[in-house]
Amino acid sequence: MLLLPSVAHMDALTIAAASGIRSRMQSLDLLANNLANSATTGFKSDQEFYGLFTSDDATGGASGSASAMPVIERQWTDFSPGLLQPTGNGLDVALSGSGFLAVNGPNGPLYTRNGNLQVLHSGELATADGYPLRTTDGKTIQISSGKPIQIATDGTVQQDGQTLGQMAVVNFKSTDSLTKMGKTCFQNSDPKNPPVAATNVEVQQGKIEGSNVPVAEAAMRLVGVMRQFEMLQKAIGISSDMDTKSIQEVARVGS
Amino acid sequence: MIRALFSAASGMNAQQLNVDNIANNLANANTTGYKSRRAQFQDLLYQNMVQPGASAGQQSTVPAGLQLGMGTKASSNEIIFTQGSFTQTSNPLDLVIQGNGFFQILQANGNLAYTRDGSFQLDKNGTLVTSSGDQLQPQITIPSNAQSVTIATDGTVSYSLPGQTAGQKAGQIQLAMFQNPAGLNSLGTNLYQPTDASGDPTVASPGGQEGLGTLLQGYTEQSNVSVVQEFINLITAQRAYEANSKVVKAADDMYQQVNNLKQ
Repeated sequence: MLLLPSVAHMDALTIAAASGIRSRMQSLDLLANNLANSATTGFKSDQEFYGLFTSDDATGGASGSASAMPVIERQWTDFSPGLLQPTGNGLDVALSGSGFLAVNGPNGPLYTRNGNLQVLHSGELATADGYPLRTTDGKTIQISSGKPIQIATDGTVQQDGQTLGQMAVVNFKSTDSLTKMGKTCFQNSDPKNPPVAATNVEVQQGKIEGSNVPVAEAAMRLVGVMRQFEMLQKAIGISSDMDTKSIQEVARVGS
Repeated sequence: MIRALFSAASGMNAQQLNVDNIANNLANANTTGYKSRRAQFQDLLYQNMVQPGASAGQQSTVPAGLQLGMGTKASSNEIIFTQGSFTQTSNPLDLVIQGNGFFQILQANGNLAYTRDGSFQLDKNGTLVTSSGDQLQPQITIPSNAQSVTIATDGTVSYSLPGQTAGQKAGQIQLAMFQNPAGLNSLGTNLYQPTDASGDPTVASPGGQEGLGTLLQGYTEQSNVSVVQEFINLITAQRAYEANSKVVKAADDMYQQVNNLKQ
């Protein structure tokens, strides 16, 4: 027996709407994380990127359009700079311009824009989470106790007139391969997109970069997500009503 | 959905702590030598929904993954050691440090602590003590018949005795300095204790090449709390708290609608 595509996918409306509902829930998750981090130093906000899910089987068949479902394919991170706030602390640095500080994470190099630094017990200059900063020649910066350090705009760290090293400020051709690792650190997941020395970036001592989450816009999007969710919920209701009608009234015609 | 609820809750917790911190700064706006603290936050772990580089079809791969964050947490509230403004007093034992140094104080338990509060007094033996009665180190004693006490910018304390023209030297105040003062541990009563993060103190005389700063007699250092800045921080914290509570409401509403899908 030959099944018409429309018969095979009677619930296409419900499927699409349910998929939409699920992606709006993920949207809310992203939004919640952004808003929770509106005060996190060096945090970069995430935005969703919608796509259509089409399975290989579906695109091969005649009913391709019916099984296309909206899903959040990926998120993209907004790398626009946050507000630079002066702190007066000589161990705070902020990057003005695009780029990242390279640090030695527990499993290889990580990249961050959170320049809230500290000196480890071993004397190494490190982030607040204890990841030592890398220099341009792949070493770490060793600081002897006592005297203040001066950090030049090119990242050169000096103490008592002695140059201790230049912090590696790097950038990527594409920031798509950067994955968030928590603690405002990013990991590069694509070896074909290696870090290169950043140009047009200044290291500013005594400042710190705030979060780039636009709180007002996030509130607007929150309303948007809620309303879209409501519409999709209505759509499921309508689909369900239509099914009820066809079951009850089509059956009555037949009798 | 539950992720959004917990992320928003973590944001509310963090902002609550932020407000606690601001409240303490404002409460200490008139505390001599108080240094304000600034709350620092960090994002939590991420849940990988779609791994970057996963296969999307037979030939294609996903260019970037889908990661959902789990919210925020307060990581630290570091001390901001900017200089406070000076107020003139008539007390010759009031001192301010123009620079990055700290006074060394011997606590009752025998441990050394460090302070920026230079409003000293004399105890019954004529020893220089803080307002809580802890001794300044190195110990400086001034006899009860001393006429006037002079403290030079390099920390030399001298006094004159009745009927004598030449001044008597009582000792020299030494200051301590830390590589990372933001990592000091606050003990209360204006005292700080060194930690692994702050590093060990470097002790030297004031006015030297070490950048410890010089002493100024007859002044006290005000707290470095900027009331205007704290109020602005309070407004942002309050609004961020509100935004997070809105997310809780939205997540709750959406969850309710899901529950109502089946009528």
